[in-house]
Amino acid sequence: MTPRRGSGRARGLIALMAVAGLTLSACGGGDAADEPADEPATEDTTADTEAPAEEPVTEETLVEETIAPEENLDPVFGGTLRYAIEADVDGLNPTRNNISAPGYVILNAVFDNLFAYDENDVAVPFLAESGTPSEDFKDWTVKLREGVTFHDGTPLNADALLVNFASLRSSALPALAINPFFPPLNDDGTDPGIEKVDDLTVIYHLLDPQAYFPAYLTGQLGMVGSPTWLEAALEDPTLNQSPVGTGPFVFSGRSEDSVTTFVRNEDWWYGDVYLDAVEFMPVTDADLRVELMLNGEIDALHTTHFPSIDTLEAEGFKQVIDETGEESFGMINVAVPPFDDIRAREALALAAPIEEYQLLINEGLGTRANGRFVPASPYHNPDVVQVGDDIAAAQPLVAEYCAERGGETNPLLATTTCTDGKINMELQWSGPSVVQSRIADILEAAWSEAGFNVTRQEIPQDDHIIQVAVGAYNVVTWRQFGAPEPAVDNVWLLCRTIGAISLNWPRNCDEARDEVLLAAAASTDPAERASLYQEAEQMIADAYTYIFFNHTRWSNAFADNVYGICDRMLPDGAHARCYSGGAGDLSTVWMQ
Amino acid sequence: MNYLFQRLGMAVMLLLAVSALTFGGMNLLGDPLFNILGPVAADTSNPTSVAKIEAAKEKYYLDRPLPERYVRWLGDMVTGDFGVQFSSTGEPPVTNLLKERTPRTFQLLVLAQFMATAISIPWALIAAARVRRPTDRISTVTSFLLIALPNFALGIILKYLLGIKLGWFPLTYTASDPFFSRLHQLILPALTIALPAAAVYQRLLRTDLVTTLQEDFILMARSKGVPRRRVLVRHALRPSLFSFITVFGINTGALIGGSLIVETIFRVPGLGSAIVEAILREDFPVVLAIVMIATTTFVLVNIAVDLLYSVLDPRVRR
Repeated sequence: MTPRRGSGRARGLIALMAVAGLTLSACGGGDAADEPADEPATEDTTADTEAPAEEPVTEETLVEETIAPEENLDPVFGGTLRYAIEADVDGLNPTRNNISAPGYVILNAVFDNLFAYDENDVAVPFLAESGTPSEDFKDWTVKLREGVTFHDGTPLNADALLVNFASLRSSALPALAINPFFPPLNDDGTDPGIEKVDDLTVIYHLLDPQAYFPAYLTGQLGMVGSPTWLEAALEDPTLNQSPVGTGPFVFSGRSEDSVTTFVRNEDWWYGDVYLDAVEFMPVTDADLRVELMLNGEIDALHTTHFPSIDTLEAEGFKQVIDETGEESFGMINVAVPPFDDIRAREALALAAPIEEYQLLINEGLGTRANGRFVPASPYHNPDVVQVGDDIAAAQPLVAEYCAERGGETNPLLATTTCTDGKINMELQWSGPSVVQSRIADILEAAWSEAGFNVTRQEIPQDDHIIQVAVGAYNVVTWRQFGAPEPAVDNVWLLCRTIGAISLNWPRNCDEARDEVLLAAAASTDPAERASLYQEAEQMIADAYTYIFFNHTRWSNAFADNVYGICDRMLPDGAHARCYSGGAGDLSTVWMQ
Repeated sequence: MNYLFQRLGMAVMLLLAVSALTFGGMNLLGDPLFNILGPVAADTSNPTSVAKIEAAKEKYYLDRPLPERYVRWLGDMVTGDFGVQFSSTGEPPVTNLLKERTPRTFQLLVLAQFMATAISIPWALIAAARVRRPTDRISTVTSFLLIALPNFALGIILKYLLGIKLGWFPLTYTASDPFFSRLHQLILPALTIALPAAAVYQRLLRTDLVTTLQEDFILMARSKGVPRRRVLVRHALRPSLFSFITVFGINTGALIGGSLIVETIFRVPGLGSAIVEAILREDFPVVLAIVMIATTTFVLVNIAVDLLYSVLDPRVRR
């Protein structure tokens, strides 16, 4: 049954979500030319993982750092970095709240991950000392580092991981992203998905072979919070706003929709932290973020707005830019009329103003997308081309649909699916945002001409994600995919993540596609994986559930006096991936 | 004293009417369960979710008739309990939000009213002293321009000129900054609210001053050789303040309304931006609380204005 909203409920869309985002979107690690600003405090740099090394997907030409070499400047302590993010988050508990790109920016300050991507997109141990798979890749043994404590003094151990896992498993949305991959709870309430081996070791038991499971532990699933705090937060959920982790910064204060502040963790297990404090300020309007940067009111920002990136470049700000990650697209709910009919979906795709979108929204600066992968990726299928800009071809499909099914009900709008030969639909996006409203204008104009009556809805991002999760939408603009390890993105596509609350947002089930995706997740053969993902791309295109606009270009920009960007070294000696999906690490950053 | 009781009685009736209308309206808009439970509210096929739905209905009396819920809410409200924020994680009390945000809006509105008063009185005196001369005509055009200009347009213009081009004021508000920094950050938003209000005040005060300046007692003062400026400030201003004070009170409501847009433009996390977000999220308890605070403030300010009349002119008491 389709979830129903209140009649006046506005719903948004375009989010950039990684909600249940056990996925960190991809990104380019930059050229990693800078020398590390600090060395790991731990002696243990021999951490091992027997996960299969995967080939780098990053394409040099799509990843760019506009940061000049820093000429051996010595880091100095002090300063408060003000970072403008594109939206606030509803909470800061990775086991309970929906975490999107700005959420990752914030949470990376206070939490460490069990694993982290290196510059070749291989997930290697960070807070974990090692990760070892069973022969069939269904069981993964994760051993923690010794001697690490949370900000509240609680020791990091296997019991802490059990509490984190239990909290995640019982959450509303984040659980949706992991429960489909683990066995259900036993009748006595025990969890067969995780097993404590000793004080520092657990085994994760998966339902399917996952040759790249550590990649999951680089995201929300791998962020470890203090068990003391998590248990208290279960009793008093307002504590979800006051996170306690092991990370480089300690939570200091939060005024929702204004500023969230963290101060330096003087005893960070991994080394020195230079900044006195970091302040994250949600500024939803992309133009305003740039104005604040130009005005010197902030020191850093992230954005996917092409004209903003262009302005930042013209003004000479340091930027880490990549577009190997998320895709920007329109997304269609196939669970309810009118878009349960492929003719309506195809008509919408055919009429999509792709060229106009590139010109007016991206100002000709973006790279048009035909699917989930950038052309340089081995998983990219060159035969798949996103249709669009063909209103004449869309109109007969609309007419055919309305003639056959025009009297049915669109449950979202509580109207018939067609009125006067036009398909009634709702377009949702998240805001307030000038850019998103402009996108809606362009889409509405083209779709109206093709024969759609478009009802517009705009709501805040966190609420919008929930609406999409329950299927209370027809069409949304959205940002997603792009995990460095594509198996992590299976959560958005498998039939098993469809339900009353779905992470397969379009609610499009294709068993054959599932088989292909799961086979790719289990394979360690690069050629086989490439072939399988290319096959999946064709299947996705044939369903007309996504209208791909462009590869999202993320910029993380910094003021001139900010240094040490992307300098983190991992315990195994490799350079850490720089920024990913608009989020990165501030532990090595310092200011003059 | 009777007059005071009469005014207070009318104020209570007004507040009751506003609360009933707002409560009824909010409850007609949608299902609060969705905001309380998130997606769980739609998961009616899952017994665990159904149990949560039933528990939430019982906890928040959502299974009771609307009039009963209204009476319960009203009873809680008068004791200072505004309920919980449905759309925030952990459902914290609305009073937490009010404690954090009310001072910011209060500071903004006080600053705006102070600016409006400080600008309008000298402006009106100057215009009245040079009535129908070029100065007065320019003043008239300027005031009409400011009155006609929508808040959001004025805010953007001020932000561009004084914030971006000249760099005199910050473009945004940061709640973690020290008090005087925050006060500095409030100047642009306060000015955005103050300028149209000042224009309205100036128009009224100027007209009243022009009328007063034609009174016999002014002629008497002038004939005694009292300097023109002294006549204006000491003799003409006080009896000309009635309309000014009336509009000052009534305008409080308009200023609160204006703060909705201005707080959003300048990222001031006050009651204005809170109610915009709450409406978008259909967080009824927050909307109700802010509406009641705004209405109560409006009513109290206007009672104070009425009382001030009787101080300025004892005939009003009769």
